[in-house]
Parts: sequence; structure tokens; C-alpha cells
Amino acid sequence: MPSLTPMLDRRMALQLVASTPLLASCSPPREEIIPYVDMPEGLVAGEPARFATTLPLGGYGRGFLGVTVDGRPVKVEGNRLHPFSLGATDVFAEAEVLSLYDPDRSKTVLRKGEIATWQDFAGAWGGILRDARVGLVTGRILSPTKSAQIEALRLHYPRLSWFRYEPVHDDAARAGSRLAFGKVLNALPRWGEIDCIVCLGADPLGAGPQQIHVGRAFSSRRAGPARQALHVAESAWSLTGAAADFRIAMAPDQVAEVGRAIANHFGAQLGVPELDARGRAFAQRAARALDAAHGRVLVLAGNAMPPALHAVCHWLDRMLAAPVSYMDSLDTVEDDHAAMLAALADALHDRRLDALIILDANPVYDAPDAFHMAQAIDNAPFSVHVGLHRDETAQAVQWHLPLSHVLESWGDARAPDGTASLIQPLIRPLYDTRTGDEILALIAGGPQRDSYDLTRAQWRPGAAGDFERWWRQALNQGVISGSTAPVLSPPSPKAPFLPRPAARRGLSLLLEPHPSLWDGRFSNNAWLQECPAPFTKEVWGNAVQVAPQDADRLGIRNGDCVEMTVERRTTSAAVSVMPGQAPGTLCAMLGGGRSRGRIGAGVGIRYIELAGRALARRIDQVLLAKAGAGPPLRSTQNHTRLDGRAEDLFPIAADNPVVARATEEPPSMLAKPPRGDYAWAMVVDTDACIGCNACVIACQAENNVPVVGPEEVSQGRDMHWLRVDTYTIQQGDIGRRGFQPVPCMHCELAPCEPVCPVEASVHDHEGLNVQVYNRCIGTRFCEANCPYKVRRFNWFAYAGSQAYGGEAPALKAQHNPDVSVRGRGVMEKCNYCLQRISRARRTAEKQNRTIAEGEVVTACQAACPTHAIHFGDLNHADSNVTRLRQDRRHYTLLEELNTRPRTTYLKRLYPGEDETDER
Amino acid sequence: MSQIFRPGANSIAVAVLVLLLILPPVAIALTYVFWASPYATNQYLTIEQTVPFSHAHHVGDIGLDCRMCHTGVEKAAFAGLPSTHICMTCHSRIWTNAAMLAPVRASYASNKPLHWQRVNRLPDYVFFDHSIHVAKGVGCSTCHGPVDKMAIMRQQKPLTMGWCLQCHRHPENYVRPRDKVFDMSWTPPQDQKRKGMELIRRYLIHTNHLTDCSTCHR
Repeated sequence: MPSLTPMLDRRMALQLVASTPLLASCSPPREEIIPYVDMPEGLVAGEPARFATTLPLGGYGRGFLGVTVDGRPVKVEGNRLHPFSLGATDVFAEAEVLSLYDPDRSKTVLRKGEIATWQDFAGAWGGILRDARVGLVTGRILSPTKSAQIEALRLHYPRLSWFRYEPVHDDAARAGSRLAFGKVLNALPRWGEIDCIVCLGADPLGAGPQQIHVGRAFSSRRAGPARQALHVAESAWSLTGAAADFRIAMAPDQVAEVGRAIANHFGAQLGVPELDARGRAFAQRAARALDAAHGRVLVLAGNAMPPALHAVCHWLDRMLAAPVSYMDSLDTVEDDHAAMLAALADALHDRRLDALIILDANPVYDAPDAFHMAQAIDNAPFSVHVGLHRDETAQAVQWHLPLSHVLESWGDARAPDGTASLIQPLIRPLYDTRTGDEILALIAGGPQRDSYDLTRAQWRPGAAGDFERWWRQALNQGVISGSTAPVLSPPSPKAPFLPRPAARRGLSLLLEPHPSLWDGRFSNNAWLQECPAPFTKEVWGNAVQVAPQDADRLGIRNGDCVEMTVERRTTSAAVSVMPGQAPGTLCAMLGGGRSRGRIGAGVGIRYIELAGRALARRIDQVLLAKAGAGPPLRSTQNHTRLDGRAEDLFPIAADNPVVARATEEPPSMLAKPPRGDYAWAMVVDTDACIGCNACVIACQAENNVPVVGPEEVSQGRDMHWLRVDTYTIQQGDIGRRGFQPVPCMHCELAPCEPVCPVEASVHDHEGLNVQVYNRCIGTRFCEANCPYKVRRFNWFAYAGSQAYGGEAPALKAQHNPDVSVRGRGVMEKCNYCLQRISRARRTAEKQNRTIAEGEVVTACQAACPTHAIHFGDLNHADSNVTRLRQDRRHYTLLEELNTRPRTTYLKRLYPGEDETDER
Repeated sequence: MSQIFRPGANSIAVAVLVLLLILPPVAIALTYVFWASPYATNQYLTIEQTVPFSHAHHVGDIGLDCRMCHTGVEKAAFAGLPSTHICMTCHSRIWTNAAMLAPVRASYASNKPLHWQRVNRLPDYVFFDHSIHVAKGVGCSTCHGPVDKMAIMRQQKPLTMGWCLQCHRHPENYVRPRDKVFDMSWTPPQDQKRKGMELIRRYLIHTNHLTDCSTCHR
């Protein structure tokens, strides 16, 4: 990784000094204005335009709006009409614009590493005969066009074998569904109708294609009169566990025993559960809660749980008449993911494939080493990899074909409920790339067709009425109406059966999808690498999380290096000690240890190495030993730590707290802030926040916030204008976890202002504490005097001088043209998305009116899937923020400092504990 | 012992002391004068263009409206330069063989855009929006000068922050009725101050926010 230290010797430095007068005598360069030859109708130069499109994650489509300015995609926003966006976004969607401009993207066809052309490839592929044994490797395909193309490909190559696998798979749920119903069904809870949820190792609020959908239902129930009760039994912290009302940490096998106890309560004969007193109390309370809410409940098992437990949950859901819609599986492939990966490896090792096409998958990286995937691929006489990057798999094949980014492609995808939507390009392909559809068409040997025609041809027969009208409407709305999968009548699951867990020694390692890198496919995205993980606040790495009891036993401290051994496979990793994790359990995130890509290579650990010959989500019998030097633990959590103040900073309330409010404002020696037509304020509901980090990446995309890189983070520096703090509040034995997004507080009596010698930190008439970049001389007094530590200093020209920050010209195209790109030596911070306020004000004033409530939506607020962030005008008596400031849960951060912040909070609620509480 | 200093040394010492006091303020003042001078601000600078487009002819002689070519001026921050298509609306019929229009025809034929040199260039860190100024009664000629008399476009005003603030502090001296915004011949009436105040009220111009840093810088 490049260092920020300038590579200058004395001679070079003197030469540069000598050249400065010459440079200074030059006037600024002439600028050109290049208008269109023929301007597209309806386009206004320099104004943002929005287009509905679809971004897949693990194959599932989520509909969003892409924002382009003068033809450049700069931002992704939510699409209200799409059921899996609902107007909000997640980290993966927000970061796609950076992936589009990634300078590491593959730009040309390669034959054995040498530059070749598409014609060369087409010629070579022409040598593959129709009776050849062709192997096609893909991820999960939920695109109607691609599915149809693969069917057509089968007709063309009758001996085609299709291997479909996702590293983040749902094999346990699939097997559980087969146990219960005899086939794989798609069980989709109707989240809004549920009063009581019991999660057995499941993480519905965690990162994934359903996060926004579930999060919105969850938070709207929390905001409403009837709060959903959330019981979570889990081994390591998940976002669902942090949001839970009742949570218990226990080993994975014990979590299954809780399922046994609950099932027994409802009449299953599964034998006596092996639970301790805490577990019994938890199971009893959960069972009683389920009993009380019959018909409005849900029991859910996680992906690391045994299939039998999933079957038990299906049985319980039917017994309790849970509001779950059952549909046929959208994934038409019968076999499970892990099985198909193993079949692929076997087929290659046995030389049973004549040609291999790997379409947007990376088996060399994400298959366990025991498959020896690189050597296996070498056995294929003809091997092709199609991908965005020249990744690990691209090195192992003969042909590499560059894939178009999804923002450059036409296509379609289905959401988890079957809702189809179109993928609409925001820009023409930047390089000589093709889409997956086009490449499937190419290998099927038909005439050369582009993905626009292919997608239209797919949908033309089914469209009702005039196709062009139908097509325009589908593009405009971003959703194809009436495409939701048909709901089946609830099937009756078989009587449950839950085998006893085998006795195990050693620790259990749970492998979770990374909250921002997913399975590693986003590892070359610097925003996502520097997005702090929810609980550890770790960036640029994926340390193994160890329970404090295990750490004490082994003499390990936070940041130490450990060696993990399973059978004879060994890997070493940094340790993050995680209070509240079950003893005997380790937890690690996938997505580290890539060996290709200038951003992602060498960052983190590839834990799948430990998995043997399975694509396991849980690895048992792990031996842990302290090791010497190893990868560092880079975390932003302690950058701004205030010891022993958690209860003050993150107060929690049992229920409807009554707080005595000071009616009189205490005196202050600071000048009164000016009053204007608007008084902007933000209220953050910590009860709704699930810690998903969508706001952090949305802020980064909107405000041109640079990435600082791993070395700088290790020095205690970072640039995020909005951080999400995580708190542990100890209540007796129970550790409560909560999240608190912290942007600038915009104090009315701002401590940063009087200390600035050049008045770069000033108030405007609308209550914003603004930072004037061109006045700032970088004394950093304001940062020192800010009690909330929300100011960020550009120690180096982060935004353009290093690999992470966008030294590549292509990355400059991502910048939001409405926001300055700050230079070195300048202080910066959250400005409540001033550019959005300004835009709303100009729009309103052009129409001779004032800004209406809800017209200004900050980037973080727009991204938030749970509506935890509220923004508005305090001068407006019935605005949302004015109302929330009267809420009984309302509080101010560090109120005793009398800074009178405009950003305030609502307390996290915990329902009253009953007598069965484990305290 | 001989004298170390000659008799003139006293005068030199006094002169040096006086100059030490005078020079720094003078140097600073000169710097300010320099950076506000047309040499530094490019005020009055006429820039050669690929096509010698004459505003004097098109606006002054023919009387074309600004919005005919600068289509974004009422809608967007950027007033916009005409696409080649707009030029060819007329020039496919008149002056079809003029030599000076050869680049325009070439652009239209080859679908390659024309490259114009920017004349009015604002400093970095400032965000200017044409549409709001036009909507609030700031006329084109207030900032761009007598465009209808310029054969080749030049920068008429210094475009410094001090110059912007003259109007942002006292908009009543500059605003005009909306129907006169594109009128090149408009001159302030005798009672501009009173009429300006009335327009500020009528157009709901929020004067207290006009001098906030956040109005233009972000």
C-alpha cells in the first residue's frame, strides 16, 4: 500500500523550490465550455436527473434511483415504489457509484494475460462444439432475462452443467424448508403484522437484500402505538441482537436448545432441552410472549443453525398462525450452494468439463482451499472468466472478459418477494466491456445483440397492451407492476424433529457476511473498507471477535494476534474482544484476505481457509492460541472515547420516561446566535437506529468525503462527517447495545466559533454552524474545543493524492458538483447538507414561497431505512422536529455544557423487565 | 579614535525607520490594489473564440433574447451555452456559406461539439446560480455589462467577492422589475433606492441571509 510520506530527496526538494516562482507566475488555466451538438430534450445542463434502476445483492434486485449530473452518475438514492428500497438505501447501494469509477476495473479482453479483442474471443469460442461438456458457474440468478438465456444455452449445449453458488448462502434454510415441506419454499414474513419475533441466531435486520424492507417495518412498528417485542437468542452480536428487547448470548448449540424448549411448549415432543437457568428463563418468556400474541408472531432460525431447527421454526410458525407468505422458491436451481461448489470442483478435478465459463463469480477466492480451485480450473481445456476485475479467478483462467458495471447495463432482477424491476444504465460503458446478458448471448452463438434488446425481448411477450407504454412505465417507476410471486396456500409442515448436538471440544467459529464488504466482492471499494463495522468499529480488516471469558482464559487482549487451527489448517488474525458474545464462540466476517485489487489486496483475513471442504457458515473445534506479531486491529471506536460516561451519553429509558425539563435557558457568555427565517434542526431516534451505516456511506457519497486509508486510521485520523457510535450499557448482568449516529451538533452557542482566529467557523441566520473552507488556515483550535469531536482535519490532500482518495482521474467523476472538494490543511465537518438546503431554498424562492416541511431531506436522512433521522425547521410550530423535541424521550448530548445543540436525540427504550428476567 | 559613521548616517537611519513603518502597510495596500486590478481579475479581457460570435450583432442589431441561446438561465445554476443545433436553427438558412461559420457547420456535420473559451470565471469554492438571480430581478446587464455592444465577449465586472457583496449587502441599488431582467437598455431610475426596496418586498428577498457565508460557499 502506498505511503503518504512524500518520496523526496534533498535534491528533488530544492528543484521543486526553485520552480515555485515559475509556477506562481502562471495565471489559472483557461477553462472551456463544451455544449452539446444536439441537446437531449428535457435535459438542463448542470442539474441532477434521476433514473430508476436496480442493483443486485446476492442476485436479489433492490430498486433505487441513480442520480446523474451531466451524464455522470454521482449518487444512488432510494426508490419509494420498490418494496425492497422504500425510498431508503443501504451501504452496498450507496457505494456502487464508487465501484463504477474504480480505476482497477477490468478494461479489456485478456488471453492468458495478454490483451486481446472480443473478436479473438468469439473466434476461439467458435471452436467449442455443440456436444461439448460446458460448465457455467454463476452466483444466484434471479433475472428473468438471464434465466431464459441459460435455458436457451441448455438447448444449444445439451451437455451444459450449471453450477450456481453464493459464498453467502442459505443452504440451512433451504434444507430446513425441504425437511418441513418436502421442497424449497420461499417463506416471506409480513413484517408489519407481527407483534412478537423470536430470533434463534437469525439476523433479519443485518446486512443483506432484505435489510431495508425488514428495518422499515420494524421501525414503523416501534414508532407506532404497539411496539413489536423482539426476543433474540444468539452467539455473537448481530444488528438484530442489538435492537432486541430481550437478548441472550449462548453457544450455537444452546440456541437450538431454546428452539427445542419453545417447540415443546407448543406440544412438540422433542425431548428435554439441555439448557441452564438463564436459557430456560429466556425460552419460557419467549414462549409465553408467543402464546399471548398467537397469529401475530414469528420464529426465525439463522443460517448457522442446523436445518432441523429451521424445520422446527416452520412448524412453530404454522402452529402459531404466523403471518408468513409462502411462495415457490425464486431460485430455480434445485441443488444447494455448497453442494454445487463441491460438484464443480469434482467435475474439474475429474476432467469432466471441456469448457468452463465463470460469470461474475470468484471461486478461486471464495471456495475453501481444500477444493484447490486454481489447479482445478487449470484442468479445463478452455476456461473463461467474466468479471468486473482481474481478480483471483481471472488469474487462473485462459480468457478473461471485462464485465460492464450494473450502472452501465440493461437487465432485470427479482426482489426477495419476486417483484421484478429493470436495470437501467445511467451511463454508457466507460470501457470496452459487455454485460452478462450480452456475453451469455455471445456464447449461445446467436446474432450479436445488446442487453437493451435482450431485456426488451424478454418482457415484450408478457406486457399487457402497448409494449412501448408498458416499457416506459416500467422504467419510470422502477418496478414492474404485478410481478410479485404468487402466494401459495400455507403448506402444512411435517412434525418436527431435532437431533441432539454432537459433543464438541474447542471453539465454534461463526462466519458472517461482512456488514460492508459482503462476501468480499466489494473489497476494492475504499468507502466500504473504511466503513466502521457496527460493533467493533473496525475498518480495513476483519478481526476475529472473541468473548471476554475466552480471552481471559487464553490471556488475550484486544488487538493481540492469535493463531486459529482447525485440523491442520491454520490462520492468524487480530482479536477484537467483544463483551456480550457467548463464551465458546468466535465470530468473524467474510470478505477479507483478497490478493488482487489495489484497495482490497492484503486487507483482512480469508477465514474460509479454515472451512475444509464445505462452504460452511459455522466451523467447529477451532483451537485458539496467542501468536506473535500479526495483522493489526484498526478501529475508530477509541478515537473519541469518553471513559465512564456511557450512561450520560446514551441514556436508556424503561418506558415513557417523565423528565423534568429546564424551562429557562442558563446564561452564557457567548454571543447570541442570529435568528433567521428558518431554524434547521435534527432529531435522531436511537430507538429506531439499527446501526446499518447506510447514513455514513450516504454522507460520504453526497459530501465528497475522502477516504484516509489504513495507515492514517491507525494514527487516529478519519474523515467521516457522520459517525455511528456504539454503546454498551450494563444493566446488572445484561449488556445493552445501542447505536448513536453523531453528525455535527450545530450548537447554538458553538464552542468552536470563539476560538477560530480567522472566523472560518461562523453561524448563519438559519442556525447552521458553517465552516468557510477558504478562510480556514488550519489551526485546529475548533477541533480541540469541540466537545462532540465531529470536526475533521485534512492532514493531507486526502481527496486526490492517494489510491484510496481518488488519485485516479476516473474517480473525480464521482464527486458531487454541488459540494467543494476540500484541500489539505482545511477543517471540515457536517453542514446539514447545506447544498440540499440551498437547492430547496432556491426552488422555493423562485416560486415566491417558503420551504415546506419535508422539502429538505439530508443525505443521511434519505438513506436511513428506519427513519431514525428527522430533519426540519424549528421555526415551524408543527414541524416534525418541533414535535419530536417535545417528546418525553428527547435528550441533548452533553447538555450540561450549555452548547444548545440543534442535533438532539430520542432515548432508546427498553420495555420493563419482568420477574423471569435473568438479572 | 575615528568616527565609525559618516555624517549622513543619521539621515539614513531615520529614513530606514520611517520606511519600516510605511512599507508594510503600503505593500499590503498594493497587494490589495493589485489583486483587485483588471490585470489580476481579467476584467475587460476579451478572449478569442473559435467562432467570432458577436453579441453586438445578434443582440444589439437583430434583437435576439438572451434566453434564445442561454436556455438554462431561468431553470438552472448554469445559464448554458447553445448547442450547435440552436446555432443551426438559423444558420442552416442564412449565411450558410460564411467562412467564419465553418466550425459550426463542421461541428454539426461531424457531431463533435464546439469548444468555447470561458469568459466569466468565478473563483473556486463559490457556487453561483443564474436562475435565482434572474427570478429575483437581477438583470443580465448588471453583471455582464452592455453585452449588446460587445463584438467579442469580454468580462465586464471584476467578479471579486467584494463586488458580489456590493449587491448582496444593498440589493435595493440593483434589483429591477422582472420584466426588465433581459432588457439590455435598462438603467436605474432616479428613485432606484425606493423602487428597489419595494421590489425586495414584492419578490420576498430575504436580505438577512444574503450575506451569510453559506449562501454562496459550501
